[in-house]
Amino acid sequence: MSDLIGVWVGALMTLCIFSFLYKDNHFFRFAESLFAGVSLGYYIGIVSVQTLTPNLITPLRTDFSNHLHLLIPLIIGLNLYTRYIPKIAWMARISLAIYIAYYVGINMVQKLQGEVVPQVGSTIMNPIGGRITPIDNLIMIIGVLSVLVYFYFSIEHKGVLKPVSRVGIWFLMLGFGAAFGYTVMGRVSLLIGRMNYLFIDVIRVTSQHFGN
Amino acid sequence: MILEKLVNIDRRIVYLLIAVGTIIPILIPIGFPVSTTPPVESLFDKVESLNSEDVVLISFDYGPTTAPENDPMAEAMLRHCFSRNIKVVVIALFPIGGVTMAGEAVATVTAEFPNLTNGVDYVLLGYKDGAQAAMKQMGVDIAGVFPSDQYGTSLADLPLMQTVRNYDDVDLIVSFATGVIGEWWANLINAQFGTPVAVGCTAVSAPKYYAFLDSGQMIGLLGGLKGASEYEKLLTTSYPALNEVYNRAGTYTATKGMDAQTVDHALIMIFILFGNTIYFLIKRREKKLEEA
Amino acid sequence: MFWKIRLPLILTFFVGLVPIVTFFLTTRVPGVSFIRDHVEQYMVIIAGFALLLGVVNVVQGNIKKIEQRKPGWPFSISLLAGLITMGVFGILSGMKVGPFQGILAAPDGSMTPFYWMTKNLFNPLQAAMFSLLAFYIASAAFRAFRVRNIDATILIVAAFFVMLGRTPMGEYIFGWLPGGETWMPKMTDWIMAVPNAAAQRGIIIGAALGAASLSLRVILGIERSYLGSDK
Repeated sequence: MSDLIGVWVGALMTLCIFSFLYKDNHFFRFAESLFAGVSLGYYIGIVSVQTLTPNLITPLRTDFSNHLHLLIPLIIGLNLYTRYIPKIAWMARISLAIYIAYYVGINMVQKLQGEVVPQVGSTIMNPIGGRITPIDNLIMIIGVLSVLVYFYFSIEHKGVLKPVSRVGIWFLMLGFGAAFGYTVMGRVSLLIGRMNYLFIDVIRVTSQHFGN
Repeated sequence: MILEKLVNIDRRIVYLLIAVGTIIPILIPIGFPVSTTPPVESLFDKVESLNSEDVVLISFDYGPTTAPENDPMAEAMLRHCFSRNIKVVVIALFPIGGVTMAGEAVATVTAEFPNLTNGVDYVLLGYKDGAQAAMKQMGVDIAGVFPSDQYGTSLADLPLMQTVRNYDDVDLIVSFATGVIGEWWANLINAQFGTPVAVGCTAVSAPKYYAFLDSGQMIGLLGGLKGASEYEKLLTTSYPALNEVYNRAGTYTATKGMDAQTVDHALIMIFILFGNTIYFLIKRREKKLEEA
Repeated sequence: MFWKIRLPLILTFFVGLVPIVTFFLTTRVPGVSFIRDHVEQYMVIIAGFALLLGVVNVVQGNIKKIEQRKPGWPFSISLLAGLITMGVFGILSGMKVGPFQGILAAPDGSMTPFYWMTKNLFNPLQAAMFSLLAFYIASAAFRAFRVRNIDATILIVAAFFVMLGRTPMGEYIFGWLPGGETWMPKMTDWIMAVPNAAAQRGIIIGAALGAASLSLRVILGIERSYLGSDK
């Protein structure tokens, strides 16, 4: 029975959201606010069950003396919330600095070692040859260089830079066109999933319940 | 005047046409054929080269927003691994529904392979915050990030995890991703640890990931619903017994979804052509009026 | 001044260096691996606390909205009701109290309360909200997509190739030509693998250099906007 009620609740929520396509209305706004609330509640549940309990609370509770060092992330994490107490809000900067610094450091090494170096490395190649056609490598080199020239805004694009920059724009347009085509595919897929839920899943669960 | 009326047609008519174009192929399947492409074949061949001594780490980095694209990919990958007795470690790093998607996919597919044992053939470790920090630490010690599995069993009590300590013991990482986490596996983990990485991504991300594929940072790419349908085709061709699962009435598969995808693509192309035709006709009429 | 500005900047510098140094020095330097392991484990926990920061903001804002009876205040009640219910279910699931035996299905396959709400509220609402985009992209394609110049023409031609080639349509349309069934998918493959990859690579390299330089500025304390205002 809870399956049947659940699937019809899901269908109702879906239709409330879709009602916005006709015009803005209270059903949509109710579903939208519920969407925001339930999503945040989901965060709370997931973080507490999946991270804080097994990685922090359980070790401290079961073997406090051997996990004393976990007080460090506990204090740093709780310190983040001092930003909501005006008198000591400045203390949150310490935790924020630590949190942001770590991810900024990862980001820097990720971008340089994980993107710039391998991407440049695989562009500097034998211009004669390619995976699909013999001129693929040459096209790749021309494309990457011309796009990088286009994005170099520190000097005016005139003289020899102008046609190179133009070629870069054409490559970008090809890339954006391909991205648009794939974006259409991606968005339509989401709709297919919802329609499948409304017209197949809801009907299947309902008919199973009523033994049809 | 009629041209202006056409170009300013009520958008709700466009919405209705898209809705009808999506619903009809779902209710009346057409059965369009699927052709495969090298990025998908490359990943399939890699998994085909693995066996029962190998381990695949599958990361569920998507949520319900892109489930229609990523679910079929993830389930196909799980079926492929289990059909070859490859050991599977499942994690989730996407906070908005990743662990739920992981739990549902594992429950669905393991029900089709009753001989599998949790903790021996596969483990579901659950979700962890921190994404990049968790990913980096797993390269050294998985238990440091996931002290227990989804059901609270300590990793020390899971036989599979006695032989899978870090990325050195993993033969392939496959991330099913909706956002940037997919590329983090390539530009952070593959860059530092060298473990082969493949990504099954939503179609919106796919164009960018071709650059990573070309540089060798990814060994395979499933792009959107099309990529999922290609993997399903390769899977059912090599493992015909799985056709029973994919042909079951009422089961959503990427191959079935491609019917509606094809119709909607055609509709959107017609909209673009129609809109531009009217635009050019209006422009030509304005030019004639100016000349007159 | 020291506690409010200098200390955060000093911490930013040293903590920011940890992932950079540990990327290159792994097990060879024992002190480094000790710091790396602990910092990474701590960051997983701190990220959990950070993720919940937004929740406090939203709760504060909506309570204020209800108190002040601002326009749309009844919807703040539904937001808070959903948040509190789901959040409490989640916390009880972590404590494994009564029927709250986890966030997924129970071992016997039955629904736990948190999973019921996830499957029948969270999933449909998330999915439906994003599926609206399909309608908007169709409407935009009809009303706004205009081929006004050469650049837009190249864009639309590439888009058409991808939309045709990534579905069986391309095979059917060109199937009457000799070798036509494979021509469109191969052309699409080539567009994705070569010119598209080249363009994306250029964007990736440019964006990565920009992001890396911003990261360096933050680590060195030149960029301080993340600390907020000095007041």
